[in-house]
Amino acid sequence: MISMLQAESVSFAYEKEQPVLRAVNATVPAGMLTGIVGPNGCGKSTLLRLLCGLLRPQSGRVLMDGAELSRLSGGARARRLAFLPQAVNPAFAMTVFEVVCLGRYPHAGPFGGLGPKDFEVARRCLRDTETEHLRARDFLSLSGGERQRVLLASILAQEPDVLLLDEPTSALDIHHEAEVFSLLRQLAAQGYGVGVVTHDLNAAAQFCGRILLLGASHVVVAAGAPEEVFREDALCAAYGAAIRVGRHPFVDAPFVDVLPQERPSS
Amino acid sequence: MKPTRATYVVAGSLLVCLGIALVSLFVGSSGLTPQDAWREWHAGLALRDAPALSILVEQRLPRTLAALLAGAGLALAGCSFQALLRNPLATPYTLGVASSSALGAWSAFLMMDAHWVAGHVLGVPSVQLFAFLFAGVDVFLVYLVAVGKTRTAPSVLLLAGVTMGMLANSGILLTRYLARPDRLVMMDRWIMGGVDVIGYSPMSTLLIGGIPCVLLLLAQSAKFDQFSFGADLAEGRGINVRALQLITFLSASLLTAVIVSEVGPIGFVGLIVPHSVRAFTGARHRLLMPVCLPAGAAFLCFCDIVARAVMPGEIPVGIITTLIGGPFFIHLLIRRKFTDWES
Repeated sequence: MISMLQAESVSFAYEKEQPVLRAVNATVPAGMLTGIVGPNGCGKSTLLRLLCGLLRPQSGRVLMDGAELSRLSGGARARRLAFLPQAVNPAFAMTVFEVVCLGRYPHAGPFGGLGPKDFEVARRCLRDTETEHLRARDFLSLSGGERQRVLLASILAQEPDVLLLDEPTSALDIHHEAEVFSLLRQLAAQGYGVGVVTHDLNAAAQFCGRILLLGASHVVVAAGAPEEVFREDALCAAYGAAIRVGRHPFVDAPFVDVLPQERPSS
Repeated sequence: MKPTRATYVVAGSLLVCLGIALVSLFVGSSGLTPQDAWREWHAGLALRDAPALSILVEQRLPRTLAALLAGAGLALAGCSFQALLRNPLATPYTLGVASSSALGAWSAFLMMDAHWVAGHVLGVPSVQLFAFLFAGVDVFLVYLVAVGKTRTAPSVLLLAGVTMGMLANSGILLTRYLARPDRLVMMDRWIMGGVDVIGYSPMSTLLIGGIPCVLLLLAQSAKFDQFSFGADLAEGRGINVRALQLITFLSASLLTAVIVSEVGPIGFVGLIVPHSVRAFTGARHRLLMPVCLPAGAAFLCFCDIVARAVMPGEIPVGIITTLIGGPFFIHLLIRRKFTDWES
């Protein structure tokens, strides 16, 4: 069965009369990398939190394979959906392998005891993210790109169906960003549903199979394949800026940039 | 099965703790030796005819037990607060429990003339009772201010607790200002902290109040590992962060309040023991927290031995813990052992 995470007409406001999302529909289907993009403050991260059950919509509902997400226990939810928040920083030092083993928590007993099977899964996740060689390193000593790969391994260790990531590449160099995105695309090809919030429209255009474009007005402006979504009218409407779309010079994907705005000189 | 590193650490800490406890039984001003006690025990003497045995049973053993229990509890409470506040500098006293206890105890000293305060209130020594109740008020107020319907940001908890502690501190100054000079000595002695208890009633308080808190805290250890990567990640793994914060805050505070009201605000144990243990166990709380118990017990018992042995009169153990702990901590900092946390 192909699993699918779905938000149906969800609305959310942290404070009354200031909606962050208004009747938003979103899907994160299995086997595909879905990019959630939009201007700052449009509600991308809030949508991701609703999708992974950290927040509950004030209206509408979130469905995992047709069943309401809010009915699942925390543990059951964490075995289906894994969430990687933005800018994860541990308070205390741990080794890479310990960090990855933390991902086994939803499968562990009531007091968090792990067995040989858990370590086996953790090792497999290290292999899948090509971080085996970092196994014994201190997590805090890793570079940004290595950290994100290790954190990815740690959420993969939850053995979820769907991965949801909040700006996993916002602090990375361009080559590390590309590395993380191609890893995510690869995981999607293996059958995971992957949802990623990102600021980088060009990375999204290049790597995502589906794009959900949220606008500054907190509604979905466009959704679909990158070619359909990344059009000047949609982007200009979403961002309220003069955005131009061309073709990427090296790969077959749209290329997005902002027209430089001339400020009136005084 | 091949013993793991964890087994060695646990066994080692227990052995060290046991060794120090045994030494503690035979250090003190009276020159009591194991042989004396053994001879009297063998002869089947009653306690009142057996000076060595009675010192052992009525003074040394309770005192040793008090040091062990208080040290274990303070270390675990410190470790829990560090995890709760995601802050390596947190101690059991960070949220104002010790200051409020001290205010309670000092108020009791201040009002000692009032007949209802003198001696015992409701069957409990009034100083202990007041210390505990004031700590309870602090915990309740911090709870009101900082704990809401959703999870709490550690900084909010920290600010609320620190503020409450400062309020208590100004109350302390006020009681001191109002107190008669002869009371000041008692007040000062109390706030230095000491495990020189006599008899076993403090033990029953420590055990009855402490054990449920210790068990509750230990049960959270796997969740603290998740929480150390942030509340969002922990929630993503299915943890109810608000419940975790609430249980931890209440049980670590209660544990601290019970200990402080019995032995005074002995400093530094709750800060340096968790950090030192982390050097052996790593930061995983599932191992770190249980090992904090024997390690804290051993450290405070050791400090109490020093307090008794170093001069003819005794030095309050709270001074020794800081004298030993402070330089040791600075030594660790200088050696940069503490790349444990990020700046």
